[in-house]
Amino acid sequence: MATVHLGPSADVRAESRISIGYVLAESIRGFSPRRMIRHPVMFTVYILFLFILVVMLDPRLFPDITAHYDKIYYLGTAILLFLTLWFATVSEGIAEAQGRAQAESLRQIRGGLVVHRVDAAGQEATVPVETVRVGDVFVVRQGENIPTDGDVVKGAAQIDESMLTGESQTVLRESGGDRTSVLGGSKVAEGEIQVRVSAVQGQSFLDRLIRLVESTTREKTPNEIALNVLLSALSLALFIVVLGLVYLCQITGYAAIDVATAASLLVSLLPTTIGGLLPAIGISGINRVAKANVIAKSGKAVEAAGDLDVLILDKTGTITVGNRLAVQLVPAPSVDMGELLNVAMLGSSLDDTPEGRSIVRLAARQGAKPGRLEPGSFRVVPFSQERRMSGIQLGDGAEIMKGSVTAIREYAGELPPTLALTATEAARQGMTVLAIARNRQILGLVYLKDIVKPGIKERLAELRRMGIRTVMCTGDNRLTAATISKEAGVDDFIAEARPEAKLTVINREKGQGRLVAMTGDGTNDAPALARADVGLAMNSGTSAAKEAGNMVDLDSDPTKLIQVVSIGKQLLITRGALTTFSITNDVAKYFAIIPVLFATAGAGFAGVRDLNILGLSNPHLAVLSTVLFNALMIPALIPLALRGVPFRPRSAIDLLRQNLILYGIGGLVSAFVGIKAVYIVLGWLGQIPGWQSLLTEIAHFLPGGFL
Amino acid sequence: MSNPLALVGSYLDVAIVFGLVLAAAPSIGNFMGRVFTNRPTFGEGVFGPVERGIYRLLGVNPRHSMRVREYISAFLLSNAALIIWIFLLLQLQNKLPLAAPNIPPMSWDLALHTSASFSTNTDFTHFVTESQVTEGGLLLGLQVAMFLSAGAGLAILAAFIRGFVRKDGTIGNYFVDITRCVVRILAPLSVLGALILVLLGLPQTFATSLQFHTLLGPVQTIPLGPVASWQSIMLLGSNGGGIFGANSTHPFENPSALSNLFEIGLMMLIPFSSPFAFASAVRRKGEAFPYLGTILIVFFIAVALLIIGQVASNPELSPIAALSQNSFYSAGQETRFTLPEGALFQTVSVYGNVGANNMAIGALSPIGQMAMLFGMFTQSTPGGVGTGMGYLLTNALIAIFVGGLMVGRTPEYLGKKIGKQQIGWAASLLLIHPVLIFGPLVATLLGGFAALPTTGVGASAHTFTSILYEFTSEAANNGSAMGSVYVNDTTLWFNVVGAVVMLVGRFMPMVAMLMISHHFSVQTPLPPGPGTLKTQSFTFMIYLTLFLIILTALLFLPALALGPLTQIGAGG
Repeated sequence: MATVHLGPSADVRAESRISIGYVLAESIRGFSPRRMIRHPVMFTVYILFLFILVVMLDPRLFPDITAHYDKIYYLGTAILLFLTLWFATVSEGIAEAQGRAQAESLRQIRGGLVVHRVDAAGQEATVPVETVRVGDVFVVRQGENIPTDGDVVKGAAQIDESMLTGESQTVLRESGGDRTSVLGGSKVAEGEIQVRVSAVQGQSFLDRLIRLVESTTREKTPNEIALNVLLSALSLALFIVVLGLVYLCQITGYAAIDVATAASLLVSLLPTTIGGLLPAIGISGINRVAKANVIAKSGKAVEAAGDLDVLILDKTGTITVGNRLAVQLVPAPSVDMGELLNVAMLGSSLDDTPEGRSIVRLAARQGAKPGRLEPGSFRVVPFSQERRMSGIQLGDGAEIMKGSVTAIREYAGELPPTLALTATEAARQGMTVLAIARNRQILGLVYLKDIVKPGIKERLAELRRMGIRTVMCTGDNRLTAATISKEAGVDDFIAEARPEAKLTVINREKGQGRLVAMTGDGTNDAPALARADVGLAMNSGTSAAKEAGNMVDLDSDPTKLIQVVSIGKQLLITRGALTTFSITNDVAKYFAIIPVLFATAGAGFAGVRDLNILGLSNPHLAVLSTVLFNALMIPALIPLALRGVPFRPRSAIDLLRQNLILYGIGGLVSAFVGIKAVYIVLGWLGQIPGWQSLLTEIAHFLPGGFL
Repeated sequence: MSNPLALVGSYLDVAIVFGLVLAAAPSIGNFMGRVFTNRPTFGEGVFGPVERGIYRLLGVNPRHSMRVREYISAFLLSNAALIIWIFLLLQLQNKLPLAAPNIPPMSWDLALHTSASFSTNTDFTHFVTESQVTEGGLLLGLQVAMFLSAGAGLAILAAFIRGFVRKDGTIGNYFVDITRCVVRILAPLSVLGALILVLLGLPQTFATSLQFHTLLGPVQTIPLGPVASWQSIMLLGSNGGGIFGANSTHPFENPSALSNLFEIGLMMLIPFSSPFAFASAVRRKGEAFPYLGTILIVFFIAVALLIIGQVASNPELSPIAALSQNSFYSAGQETRFTLPEGALFQTVSVYGNVGANNMAIGALSPIGQMAMLFGMFTQSTPGGVGTGMGYLLTNALIAIFVGGLMVGRTPEYLGKKIGKQQIGWAASLLLIHPVLIFGPLVATLLGGFAALPTTGVGASAHTFTSILYEFTSEAANNGSAMGSVYVNDTTLWFNVVGAVVMLVGRFMPMVAMLMISHHFSVQTPLPPGPGTLKTQSFTFMIYLTLFLIILTALLFLPALALGPLTQIGAGG
């Protein structure tokens, strides 16, 4: 039997190191016109760069516009325009490299190369994984990797998904029910299962994640397209304005504008900061989602997460811990409380279920003193579906049993009438009522209650601050649902929900134009997951659920949605903030360059020269400083683009105010300070003789001109 | 100005007018909003039958709501008809009733410019009314156009707003819109305005002139006409082409300080009420706040700049000014009014896209000229009747798009998502304005259709500013003119290019607004949630203001640098 090779351990996946070589190569490849043209703003810079190159190579082609041709100035301009472009392609390269590193580590954990296919007759054959079709059944034994996604049709096994999720604890997967789905790439730790293929290799969730983080297939999201339209129009308008300025200066004879200066002015005015970083922002958004162990099927889904209005949550497992815990013990009329406590504790002391443990804890808290249990002196009666109760048989022949009221009633006869009444009342309030009997005599009741998960209240409050309304979905009656929703702080609930309830709610909310998200794992969740704008399926769920949702959480944590929402919002905020930054940055650039245009004009132009509030006395240096500052803003903001603008949930208007101050005013001020600083540094560098001669040396190799 | 009481008084009266208009704006805006959304209004019993008569006459089914294609065709074709009508009227004016023996037909290019000018609500006049247009041309052509072009502006605003409230993909019926806007808003207000103007001393007569024997002997002819009714719609409808060449400095157009104040109010009425009209039409009362706030901030900055520019000493005159009491730019200013009265009239006129003058813009300080140009660059603070609010909304959509991203949601306004189509059309307005200004400016200078004087930088920059002003005014459909002794703008070149600039500057943005409305009208509105960017807030208002100022400055600072800024340095 061919053993399937194990995937790398989880920590390999967590560590996705990026290769500098790849980034460099990718940044050079970014200069191909076919890739440049996808980013209109940078494409404009690209054209200007090529134009300056041509002018530089043979200035005689443009005798009109190069009247004051200065080799070193043109060389400097060309270098700075190249830098602007290069910084942009580097930023995209880094984001891509991050995605690629992730994809690479994911690729290593893909299933093996061969499959043990089982045909209808039960005959096993080892075949290459490529030949497997959806619907085929294969067998996976202990220690083997699961080759591709599927559903368990026979057997049960503990599955190790650590290579996918980083979670070292194994999970149970078995045929029948809602825990049938297994992912390609995971490993059978214990047991043997037969799996029916739900996605062939190449189409599995892992493959989709790999494809998504590899930006080559990344499609632009609607907001990104709209922003690109705006930036293109703005660029075109600025192009016309600068062109107009050049011509008008020429015609009026006020000033002669050097082509290099005009190109520099235009490049500094263009929204290159946002234009250059836009691709990186989009790619890194997907990367961050992947890093959160969520497989998003498209970038659009991530963006939609930022827009959510309503979130539908299952009560069980999401809002409450999956199990109900004991909160109260009620003795039967003739029974002493102390006795009930002792019996309850003794009866559950060997019950390892969460319910059982919680009864022991409750009894101990209330002062129970259980007798010692001598080893071998007792026998545990496990819970069985037929009897629906469990208990313990002691050495002295005594038997303690606990179970649902109906089960105990069958075992020990009718409840005392007062006890029956309180039991009904407690059940009506949404509690689960268990009865405890010793030697077929009913001693009392235990109330079990849903316990809200620790921390969930805070997370729901966080969602509310983000403007998302939460709706809890539960099969419980209204009263229980109301109690828990109040405790957890959900905005709304649907009680006594039937399986189709979620779909009804989604349709209702969507009909009102809201964007709805839900989490789910069961097959009966599939239609609702498919209908929701964001359907986050749990990895622990069925294939049908995973297929229907547009995201799968490998950690099976329903509250993960909050993280996805934050990433979606961050994505948009980062774009908006950098756009604002780009626009307000421009103000200073006018103040730096426009006075320069009139530097050599007559005394009559003192008014325009008064705009030179930065005091940039050397015209060429002022222009180069402005372009260099503009170019430097791209690498300076790469970390922000990759990480996303820090997002703390708060009201929209507070967010606007905060980001306006940070990126609007920040952009305005930083440009004034930054240009002046670059000017000083460049001037200082210019004094170092080596620099001067180096540039002169390079310029020496350029063809003639007017030298 | 030396008397402090007089100084306070001169600010007080304009403040009162301003306050009165702002006090009336919510009610008038609410009324306009009801007109826009086809709700019954005050005076239904009078207006209803009149409108039904017009619909029957035009063969319009008022219940038919148009999709965007049909709406645009109706709008463009009826405007084409209007342009042709005026063109023919002016070409044949000597053969028509009310002809004057001394007024020949207009040349084709001047007729083209005039018909484009009046039907686009620009009212840029390359002619002298008294000697070049007959009474017939004025009443049957230009005055009709003043109503219809203002009505069209309001109609397009109504259709634009409808996109925010409808979800069936239709944006209304153009013929119904323009009929309702003319019958219910423009006609009653202009009649009322005309009556008050008559009371304030404006002539209203069909007599074309009065003849006097002056004391020195020669016969003097004083032109007359239906001045009050003309003036009323000219100011109310952001038209601005005076019945007299001297416009609102002519004593018959603006006889007294009181008439000056009333005329200011008349110009302000619709533009300053428009934010309320919008709020009423979308049924969100508070939505007027950010727009009115933005308008007022930009507007008052302009008034302040104008006044500061006038009061600041003129470096060229300073040796002489030291001898006189007044050192401000007083040449060409209306001496009957105080500076604040004149400045408010002028700023309202330019910022409200009227273009009527009571100060000679060419003689304003460069700072003042810059302030006037800025208003035409934004076209939206408050801008012309209907269109100004449309521009402001379009700018707001771009601001909301960027701001919406900054709060982490797909940008939406009034529950409608702002997608690539809306942004594309809105951004096209950012593009069209610089093209329409810089293109003709470069072509004019390059082609030698106007030459800058070589007598000095100051004169040269001043002339440059005047050409810049001309095309800006035409592109913004403003109609205010700066004029320069060095430029003759009544040539074939200026007539034809000006006509094209006015037509494109008017109809292309309006089509864009209708397209935006269309793309909104097919969406089901989303209910507002706590994550939605609240536009009814102080923060948003300031944001919109800064966004508008910075974006406008980015696109037009180079032009200002070559014109007014150079003038400042050169002491022109």
